[in-house]
Amino acid sequence: MSFQIDWKWIPRGIALGLLAFIIFGPLTNLILWAVAERWYFPHVLPLKYGFSFWANVFSPRGNAMASLGTSVLIAGLTVIVSLGLAIPAGYALARLRLPFRGLILLALLIPQAFPNLPVYVNIARIFYQYSLNGTILGVVLVHVTHGLVYAVWIATAAFSAIDRELEEAARSMGASALRGFWDVTLPIAAPGLLASAIFVFLESLDEFTGTYFVGAPDVTTLPLLLYTAGSGGNYQIASITALILLVPSIAFMFVVERFLRSDVLSKVGH
Amino acid sequence: MPIQLIGFLLVAPALAVVLLLFIVPLVSSVTGAFDVGGAFGFGNFTKALDLYSGDILFTLVIVLLSSALIGLFSVMIGGYLTLGTNARAVAILRWIYRWPLFIPFIVVGQILRTFLAKNGLMNNIFIELGLMTPAAAMSFLDWRGIVVAFVWKQTPFVTLLLAGAMASIDQSTIEAARNLGAKRVRILIEIVLPQVRQTLLVGLILSFVTMMSVLSVPLMINAQSPTMITANMAFRINAHGDYGVANALGLISLLMTSVAAIVYLRQTMREHSQ
Amino acid sequence: MKAKLIAATLVTGLFCTPLAAAELTVLTAGDQNMVDYVNEYLGPLFEKENPGTKVRVVGTGPGDAGSQKILERFEAQSKAGVAKWDADVAVVHEKFVGPMVEQKFLEAYRSKIPSGSLVTRANAKMALGTNVDGYVMPMFNSQTALAYNPALVPNPPKSYDEIVEFAKKNPKQFGYNGIKGGASGVSFVMGWIYAYGGDAQKLMNGPFDESETENWDKAFASLKEFSRNATLTPGNAGTLDMLSRGEIAIGPVWVDMFYSWKANGQLPPEMKLVLPSPGMPGQPMHYVIPAKTANKDLAQKFVALATSPKVQAEGIVKRFNWYPGIDAQHVQANLDKDTWQKLFTDISPEELAKNGKPFPIAPYNKAILEAYERQVSN
Repeated sequence: MSFQIDWKWIPRGIALGLLAFIIFGPLTNLILWAVAERWYFPHVLPLKYGFSFWANVFSPRGNAMASLGTSVLIAGLTVIVSLGLAIPAGYALARLRLPFRGLILLALLIPQAFPNLPVYVNIARIFYQYSLNGTILGVVLVHVTHGLVYAVWIATAAFSAIDRELEEAARSMGASALRGFWDVTLPIAAPGLLASAIFVFLESLDEFTGTYFVGAPDVTTLPLLLYTAGSGGNYQIASITALILLVPSIAFMFVVERFLRSDVLSKVGH
Repeated sequence: MPIQLIGFLLVAPALAVVLLLFIVPLVSSVTGAFDVGGAFGFGNFTKALDLYSGDILFTLVIVLLSSALIGLFSVMIGGYLTLGTNARAVAILRWIYRWPLFIPFIVVGQILRTFLAKNGLMNNIFIELGLMTPAAAMSFLDWRGIVVAFVWKQTPFVTLLLAGAMASIDQSTIEAARNLGAKRVRILIEIVLPQVRQTLLVGLILSFVTMMSVLSVPLMINAQSPTMITANMAFRINAHGDYGVANALGLISLLMTSVAAIVYLRQTMREHSQ
Repeated sequence: MKAKLIAATLVTGLFCTPLAAAELTVLTAGDQNMVDYVNEYLGPLFEKENPGTKVRVVGTGPGDAGSQKILERFEAQSKAGVAKWDADVAVVHEKFVGPMVEQKFLEAYRSKIPSGSLVTRANAKMALGTNVDGYVMPMFNSQTALAYNPALVPNPPKSYDEIVEFAKKNPKQFGYNGIKGGASGVSFVMGWIYAYGGDAQKLMNGPFDESETENWDKAFASLKEFSRNATLTPGNAGTLDMLSRGEIAIGPVWVDMFYSWKANGQLPPEMKLVLPSPGMPGQPMHYVIPAKTANKDLAQKFVALATSPKVQAEGIVKRFNWYPGIDAQHVQANLDKDTWQKLFTDISPEELAKNGKPFPIAPYNKAILEAYERQVSN
C-alpha cells in the first residue's frame, strides 16, 4: 500500500485552521444570534433556538423582500454608473499627461475622507430643491459619489500597471486607439476593475445614512432596518438582516468571478 | 484634438459628479467650521484641539497600526494565493479569506463585541477547550478591539485587490526565478511586490480613508476614552447640535487622509514622469 | 452606453411611480421595537379605522442620533423651501422638540385632538426649558434606572451614596457608558450632579446662571474618582450587553430598552430595576406633526388614536410595559389590575414620583456634558 503523508500539511493545516478560526469565529456569533431566542450569561451557547425573529423580519408589513430588491437595484445601478464614469477617468489619469492629476485624484477621495455626518443635511437640501429626494436616482447618485473613489483609484492603478508596449504593439499592427484599448488594455485591467465593482456594490449595499436622507421614506432599503436594529443592540434582527444581505453580495461576487474566469482571462496574453 | 483636452473630457464626468454632489455641499460645512458666532475665526479649531487632541492622536495611531497590519496580512495571503504550490491549500485559502468583506461595519461591531468580550464567545471557546482558566479571561474591547475589527474587515479588501494584481503580472519572471531555485519568500519580496506596489498602496490608502470615517466600530467596541474622531463628531452634533466643532474635526480628519494620499500621489507622480 | 440607457429607463420608471392616495408617513427615532410598534400594531389599527389609508414608518435609529436625523431632515426641507414635507408624524426625544418649536417646524395641534386634554404633566408643556405647550403629545414616558442581577447583587444600592460604597467594595462591577454612547450614561451623570452638585431644582427649572457651573468641580472630581472603580461600557446597548454576559453586575439603563432586551431573550428574566435616590432623569418620547405636512387631518387623527386611553393601555402598557404618555388615571381604567401592577414590579409609583426627575434645562445640560468631557474623561 502506498500510503503517503504529505508532511507539509501540518504547518499548512495549522495556519489555515488558525485563519479559519479568526474568520469564522466571529461569524459563528452572527449565525448563532440569527437563530437564538434566548441567550445570556452564564450560558456559553443559546438557551433556546427558533425562528420567531425571522418571522418578524419577514412580516408582510416589514417589506423586507421589497427593500432587498430596492437595495440590489440601487447597488447594481451604482456599479454601472460608477464604472461608466471611472473607466474613462481612470484611463485618462493613468495614461494621458493631465495637469493637476494629483489634485483630481484627491478631489475624488474627499467624499470618503470627510466624515459625512454634517454634509448630508446640505446634500439633502440640494436634492430637495431639485426634487431628487425620494427617488432611486437620487440615492444612486449619492452612492456613486461615495463609490467613485474606489472605482477611479483602482481603475487608475489597474491601467497604470499595464505595460505600455503591449498597447503600442497593437497600435503598430494597425489597430485603432479604441480598438487597442478594447482588445488589449481593458482585458488586462479587468481583474482590477471588477474588484472595484465588488467594492462599489458592497459599499452601496451597506450604506445607510445617505439613503435615509435622500431616499426615505419613498425609497427604503434593507440597511435602514439593519442600522436601527444594529445600533439599538437588537442582535437577532441585525444578524438576520446581515445574513440576508450576504446573499446578493456573494451572488454578485460569484457572477463577477465567473465572468473573469471564462471570458476575460482567456483573452489575456493574446 | 490635443491629448490633454481628451484627457480632461474623459475625467470631467466623474469629477463633475463629485464636485456637484459632494464638494459643493461640503463648502458650507467648511465655512461653518470657521464660523464663530457669525464671524470668521479659529475658535472651533482651538476648541476641537483643546478637547480632542488626545483623540486625534489616538485615531492616527489606530489607523496607522491597522493599515500596517492589513498590509502585512494581505501580502502574506495574496502571496500564498499567487505562489502557493499546493492547489488544494490555495483553493481553501481563497475560499476562507474573503468572508468579512461582506459583513457591514455595523454588524462587524456587533459580532466582534460579542466575540471579544471578557465572557464573549472567544474566551468561552478557549475555556471550554481547556486552553484557559475563567480567571485568565480578559476583554479586548478597547483600542485592541478597534484594531482587530479594522484588520478583520479590511484585510480581505486589500487582499482581493492585491491578489488580482499579482495574478495579472507576467508569470515568466516568477518561473525563471523558481527555476533558479529562489525561495518563495524571496520571489514574493523581490519580484512580485515591486510590481504590485502601486495596487498595494492604493488599497491601503482606500482602507485608511474608510477606517477614518467609520463610526459604528469605535462606538460599539471602544467605551474608554480616548476614542476616535468620528465618535466625537457624532457626539458634538447629537448632544450639542454643534456643527462648528464637528466640521472642524471633519477638516482635521480630511487633512490627515490628504497627507496619506499625497505621499502616494507624489510617488506615482515620480513614476509617471519617468 | 447601452447599460446606461437601461439604467436611465429604469430610473425614470421608478421616478414617475405615483404615490398612493392617502399615505401617512411616520418617522420614528428609537429602537427597532418603535418601528415594529407602528408596523405591527398602530398602523394596522389606524388603517382599519380609516379605510383607504396606508401607514408607512421609517426608523431613524436609537438615541439622540435618531432624533437628530429627524431634525436635520426638517431643516433640509425648510432651507430648501419645500412646500409640502415628506413626513406627516414624527416621534422624537424630548430634547429635540425645543429646537423644532423654536424654528417653527411644528404644528400646534394638541388642543385640536380629543386626547389633548388627557395630558397634564409638566413635561408636555416644557421641554428642557423651552415652552412646547400645544405642539407635542407624549407617546410614553421613559425613565432611567439601575438594572442589576439579583444573583450577583442581593442588596442593590438604593442611593447614590450607596452606589459609591458598592463600587468601592466591588471594583468594576458597576458599569455605565460615559456620556458619548447614549443617554443612559448621561442620565447617570445628571443624577450625580443632582446629588452632589448643588441646586438640583435650579438645574431642572432654570433660570440658567453661569456661576452655577462653578459648584460642580467637587462633584466631577469625585465622579472621576468613582469612575476608576467603575467599568465604562460602549453605549446604552453596551451596558445591557455587558449585563447580559455578566461582565458587570449593575448599571444605568433605559427602562424601555431593558424590557425589550428581556423580551428578546437577551437578558436573564431574573434581572431587576432599582431607582436610586435622590433620583435619576427620565424623558418622554413625543409625537409631533410638521406644520407643512400634506396630510394634516390624517396626522392628527393618527396621534389622537395613538394617545387614546385604549391604545395607551393596550399598546404602550400591555405590550411593552412602558409608562404611559397621557395621565395615568385614564389609562389605568382600561386595564386589569395585574397588568397595571406589572408596570411597578420593581419601582413603586411612590418611588417613581419621588426619584423620577426631568433632565436639566438645555443650557445646563450642555454645560454639564462639556464639564464632564474636560474634567472626567480627560
